Amino acid sequence: MNEERLRNALLAEAAPDELAAGDRAWETVRAAFETREPVPRPLRYTKPLLALAFAAALVAAALTPPGRALADDVRDAVVGVDKAKPDLFSVRGGGRLIVESDAGAWVVDADGSRRLLGPYREASWSPFARFVVAARANELAALEPDGTVRWKLARPRVRFPRWGGGATDTRIAYLSGGRLHVVAGDGTGDVDAGGLPAAAPVAPAWRPGGRFVVAYADTLGRVHAYDPAGSLLWRSAPHAHPRVLAWSSDGTRLALVTADRVVVLAGSTGRPLSTRFLRGVTDATFAPRGHELAVVRAKDVLVLPDRGRPQRVFGGAGAFDGIAWSPDRRWLLVGWRDADQWVFVRVAGKRRIEAVSRVTEQFDSARFPRVAGWCCASQR
Amino acid sequence: MGVGRDERAWVRGAQAGSVSDLEALFKLHWPRAYRAAYLVCRDAAAAEDIAQESFLAAVRALDRFDRRRPFGPWLHRIVVNRAIDWSRARALRSEVALYEPAAGAEQALPSGNSHTVASALASLSTEHRAVIVLRHLLEYTPGEIAELLDLPRGTVNSRLRRGLDELGERIEEEVR
Repeated sequence: MNEERLRNALLAEAAPDELAAGDRAWETVRAAFETREPVPRPLRYTKPLLALAFAAALVAAALTPPGRALADDVRDAVVGVDKAKPDLFSVRGGGRLIVESDAGAWVVDADGSRRLLGPYREASWSPFARFVVAARANELAALEPDGTVRWKLARPRVRFPRWGGGATDTRIAYLSGGRLHVVAGDGTGDVDAGGLPAAAPVAPAWRPGGRFVVAYADTLGRVHAYDPAGSLLWRSAPHAHPRVLAWSSDGTRLALVTADRVVVLAGSTGRPLSTRFLRGVTDATFAPRGHELAVVRAKDVLVLPDRGRPQRVFGGAGAFDGIAWSPDRRWLLVGWRDADQWVFVRVAGKRRIEAVSRVTEQFDSARFPRVAGWCCASQR
Repeated sequence: MGVGRDERAWVRGAQAGSVSDLEALFKLHWPRAYRAAYLVCRDAAAAEDIAQESFLAAVRALDRFDRRRPFGPWLHRIVVNRAIDWSRARALRSEVALYEPAAGAEQALPSGNSHTVASALASLSTEHRAVIVLRHLLEYTPGEIAELLDLPRGTVNSRLRRGLDELGERIEEEVR
């Protein structure tokens, strides 16, 4: 075969789905372009010199015994919020929390009282917080908030159960191994959403509103919006390493967090509305009745408006873990793992910070307890 | 106005914030970027991901991009290197068979000559596929390929020679 024929053959080779793939990719690229942050101008030469001099001074200081002591102090300075309360006397902003600890899933009432539901994990509220759904290794369980078990379903490797629906009809989506399952709220009619690509280890998310629509991410990072009656509503372009899916309360937006970005997709089409390159985001949740997205990553808690620059509402040394919005959308609750504190950040009106210490001990846990839901702030 | 001048104008426009100029750049380069990724990694979904991520990398680096340089080689370097990395990683992963191709993305191979070439190309090693795609689809010279893949030129030449020999043998086997 000569070179010309080889080239023609390569050009004639149909790359599958080329036009549709191009359309999807263009929407993603356009959204990233429209929401990109301007790149800061390079530092003038005097600034690097100053930085170098400062670094040299630090190194010199660190080489002396007092300098080393100071450096150790700075390293250990994950002290948390000053004047934190020693116990969780009440939940700022009201409502009820679901918390996960080594001991299992807990329900925390507004007055701070805590009840251990049992050795469950990955618990979440039903739409009106009348029930809790939770997982064990090979079991899905629906519980009342006092711990009474309503029903159980044995399935292999159950993960991320999420309850969706309205007052009269509900569904639970969960992963069994790499498969998306959907079961009715009374535990009947469990179906493997067969034919769909394998799911990534990301909690599925129900779209708020009348119609049952569940979003899940597959192993390639594509988000699928799926009607459990059997139809695929849309599928997004791939976004590698998906971590979190979260709907806005009006169902018009779906946030996808990956290892290096936060993409907001249109709820009805999957078209990207914005793409922000933020590395290391571990959790995200929309404000109740709003489109502001709160995200948490190492050392930062940010609120991302629909348009415009992210707002840093809290920060500190060490790792943060978990974020939830109060039902009245006035407070954010952030887990500050390295300080062993829960931090309540008032984001409406004048900024205010309150904290609770010794969280790990209060939930009989060795690892830091994680806030898994604040009823009924969001429908993640 | 030639494509090169158009491209420089589009890069300049995109740097100034023009979505339509960015779209023109995208439309010019998407078909080859996607096709090159697909021919190297032989997976439509992965090719889409690789090509899309390459464009996103371009968007992120747009403000720093030197518009006197051509955009294509810069993009193709990312695409082909990512496709090679992906193919190598897939070869090492045992779970690759766990996911299925997305609906509508099944391999719609054409009949005839191009199908024969495509399936013969698929049987070559990733390294051989990459240099053949760069040389015969994207039309880079061996020297340019050496630069794009960060390889000695002799290595590129030998991979091209060996790859084309193997490709010829496979095509003969297929048409027999």
